[in-house]
Amino acid sequence: MILEHRQRESSRPLPAMQATRVIGPGESFRSVTEQISSIVLTRKTPFVWYLIFAISLLAVGMFLLSVSYLFYRGVGIFGIQIPVAWGFAITNFVWWIGIGHAGTLISAILLLLNQGWRNSINRFAEAMTIFAVMCAGLFPIFHLGRPWIFYWLVPYPNTMHVQPQFRSPLVWDVFAVSTYAIVSLLFWYLGMVPDLATFRDRAQRKWVRKFYGVLALGWRGASRHWRWHQKASLILAGLATPLVLSVHTVVSFDFTIAIVPGWHSTIFPPYFVAGAIYSGFAMVLILAIPLRSIYGLQNLVTERHLNNCGRLMLTTGLILAYTYAIEPFTAWYSGDTFEMYVVHNRAFGPYAWAYWTTLSCNVFIPQLLWFKSFRVHPKRLFFIAVVVLYGMWIERYMIIVSSLHRDFLTSSWANFVATVWDNAVLFGSIGLFVACFLLFVRFLPMMSIYEVRELLPFSRPGGGTVK
Amino acid sequence: MTKLTWDNAVLLSPATAQRLGLENQARVNLALRGRSVEASVWILPGQPDDSATINLGWGRWRSGRAANGAGFNAYKLRQSDSFWSDQGLDIKKIDRDFPLATTEMHQAMEGRDLVMEGTLSDFQSDPGFIKKKSKQPAAELSLYPDWKYDGHAWGMSIDLTRCVNCNACVIACQSENNIPAVGKEQVLARRTMHWLRIDTYYEGDRANPRAFFQPVPCMQCENAPCELVCPVQATNHSSDGLNDMVYNRCVGTRYCSNNCPYKVRRFNFLLFEDWVTESIKLQRNPDVTVRSRGVMEKCTYCVQRIREAEINAQVEDRALREGDIKTACQQSCPTEAIIFGDINEKGSRVARLKAQQLNYALLAELNTRPRTTYLAELRNPNPELQKDGAE
Amino acid sequence: MSAWPMYGIVAEFDDPTVLVEAARAVKSRGYRRFEAYSPYPLEELNQIVPGIDPVPLLVLGGGFTGAIVAFGMQCYIAIVDYPINVGGRPLYSWPAFIPITFELTILFAACTAFLSVFWLAGLPLLHHPVFSLADFARTTQDRFFLCIESRDIKFSPEPTTEFLRSLNPLSVYEVNDE
Repeated sequence: MILEHRQRESSRPLPAMQATRVIGPGESFRSVTEQISSIVLTRKTPFVWYLIFAISLLAVGMFLLSVSYLFYRGVGIFGIQIPVAWGFAITNFVWWIGIGHAGTLISAILLLLNQGWRNSINRFAEAMTIFAVMCAGLFPIFHLGRPWIFYWLVPYPNTMHVQPQFRSPLVWDVFAVSTYAIVSLLFWYLGMVPDLATFRDRAQRKWVRKFYGVLALGWRGASRHWRWHQKASLILAGLATPLVLSVHTVVSFDFTIAIVPGWHSTIFPPYFVAGAIYSGFAMVLILAIPLRSIYGLQNLVTERHLNNCGRLMLTTGLILAYTYAIEPFTAWYSGDTFEMYVVHNRAFGPYAWAYWTTLSCNVFIPQLLWFKSFRVHPKRLFFIAVVVLYGMWIERYMIIVSSLHRDFLTSSWANFVATVWDNAVLFGSIGLFVACFLLFVRFLPMMSIYEVRELLPFSRPGGGTVK
Repeated sequence: MTKLTWDNAVLLSPATAQRLGLENQARVNLALRGRSVEASVWILPGQPDDSATINLGWGRWRSGRAANGAGFNAYKLRQSDSFWSDQGLDIKKIDRDFPLATTEMHQAMEGRDLVMEGTLSDFQSDPGFIKKKSKQPAAELSLYPDWKYDGHAWGMSIDLTRCVNCNACVIACQSENNIPAVGKEQVLARRTMHWLRIDTYYEGDRANPRAFFQPVPCMQCENAPCELVCPVQATNHSSDGLNDMVYNRCVGTRYCSNNCPYKVRRFNFLLFEDWVTESIKLQRNPDVTVRSRGVMEKCTYCVQRIREAEINAQVEDRALREGDIKTACQQSCPTEAIIFGDINEKGSRVARLKAQQLNYALLAELNTRPRTTYLAELRNPNPELQKDGAE
Repeated sequence: MSAWPMYGIVAEFDDPTVLVEAARAVKSRGYRRFEAYSPYPLEELNQIVPGIDPVPLLVLGGGFTGAIVAFGMQCYIAIVDYPINVGGRPLYSWPAFIPITFELTILFAACTAFLSVFWLAGLPLLHHPVFSLADFARTTQDRFFLCIESRDIKFSPEPTTEFLRSLNPLSVYEVNDE
């Protein structure tokens, strides 16, 4: 029952709407809420969305078809052989999982570092992580000779009394990747609950309200709930930070634990982590740049975001360049003839094209990011991001194939040739990723509304904003 | 020497091929005294210049699905007045793609000590010269204690001096262990299934090289790198030191193959085994598992023979004797280059061979501690012949 | 008055500063059972609204459990359950057991953190009295609410309403426990 209702203007004048550093001027709680939720709830879905969704569904169809054929015929439909027993599948796995890393970096590490600007890009970066990890997780199963028994890598009580072999990096991978997937999902969902409640409360139609109502779990924004929510988010960020570093470290263990020359190297963990974040930021930009122009979000994803992502790419790219440079040195310093041969063979052997493409895409071209005009110009930045993403795929291909194809005994040397199925599954997985991401954009809050509210200049009691 | 499968070829020397402008696997038309046949060129180091070697017996069309269409029929060129050799062969290049399938793509050692060798005089002046070349790391460098093998410890010694590259061991292994034969397409895709192969290398001048043969079965490493990386314990060690492969546990990650420095592991990329043909069912060895798709397989030291001998000895209530167990490759080797036995048994043939100065482990620097070791190749070249040749 | 028992009195605000000041005033008046609602977290309220924060301790417990479970499981499987010679390595290869121990520590801790939020908050919950307030939907958008619950020993409808009205709200409502 309403005891009293005074319609009145706000009792205190709001602080002057100065342009903040992070989001555009003139926004209010209402406007940002409206802007982000209307994408899902009221606005007409843009034609481009349908167009890209249709294309990605075609790719998903190709994916399902080729995977069905793979399960029917066997893993021999790929180009793999002895000695190159790992090919596209593992390359794709490492590539996808690396892409996922930037999402966690943005949502966890930048949260810990109190970088408020991340608030408007963290949600879709996390979604990117989840879909990338999902695509990544499929490939180790696809590459198995007998994929229907992949669960034998997981310890469980069974009548055979045989358990996984815990000295194998592949078992570590199972734990690392599944932990990463679960923690990312929890973190993503935890952050999304308050925004799902916003959707619930703004929904016009009954079933839409019910849909988001169930997902929002009855969230009502109570201060004690916020307190636990924020503490848990902070802790999850604290846990996700070492986790994200460990995941790609463990992925790199797949290679370093082996004795294959070109794999067996202690530089790999930092090398892989830097490369992962590098490619991940490229993917963030590839998604963010079209999104902000299609949905008119330039006031929320500003030039500053592009600039910062560009800088982070430049930084991780330079770390990567360092590891590229140090590899020949360690090979030479080890005095190991096999290692030295691999370095030489990478640069001048049958896969020299991959080596030089890697260097061009990951080291030379991204040097353009030193110029601010490239960092804040959406199209130029988009171009560099595509180049980097491509380069990072080739890099993993180079690491896997060029190391394996000429190892110890010269008698087993042989070149790897990809088949049409290799490519079908790779491009199909890209379609799967895009389709999932489009569904996310259409049906879930693609930006963290409550965190964007925090960015407003008057969000703090007494005025001011988060940093 | 060519390691070719599924086809015969016109073998030409490198110099002749260069003069005729032919590359390896070029398709050519052979014409001899008015008769002609199409064939592919294979460049063979050591083939005399301006001569071509052609194998007979190929190009059949009524010998079942394996032989039909393989190679070309060289009988067409053969005439009754010149059964084994003739002159005036005309080779013309034709533009058509016809790849040849070989099981070994690279036949140079690239300066690696894979086949160790020396001359008799090297050995006489310093019997330990092979030991000095070997890079086996010191045992005390390992952080882990060694695993003890108290009972039998199976091992193998392969004498490279004796090996004549007859490939009998490869065939014996294939029939003993139900190894599927893969077609040309799969050989081209580098998916041969031989558990035991003979690596053939050339050294020296391409016109007159020296050739080396090295049979390579599974080394049964004590510190097996393959076992370490298997996520499901599908490959691990038995108490007598065999590197066992558990087919029905294998999920097919192929990580073991990547981590095998000797690349002796073989993988059923597709369903290579013929499960349908009745005659093949009867041909199989009932003591050996028939492997299916998606499973890694490799040399087991003929574990079925070991276990059978053990059971027989137990039934007869006696200890195993030297010679009770012979692996298929050992049994078929005409020169007794391959010797198998218990290395824990003092005085066994294999233990005595391994104690020799010429004994070395392949890629010893990796500290895989192979149970299969080699006796280095010793040559005694005739100085008179040496003058003509390059070396 | 309604047939339902009263849940509490709610005041609506449109400014975080006013809300925090109001909450502070409610606390200094001696109220203990009250709750503030906001569209985004306001750290300032943590000191004002009574409540405990056991999340870090729970997470610590979860992490330790994960570590012990992981290392124990690997040791049991590799040494006791199925001791097997793998590549000549010892059964107790503890360095190889570290990665999984680390991952499971994180997994258990993260799941604890996630579950403890909802467990402490009593969520998921199908209905709550404050939802009966039509304007409450705006707490997830742009409005701030302060509710003094009827369970509070200092609560009595009239003075509490008067008190809330003095805190400069947009409006004051009575909420029943439907």
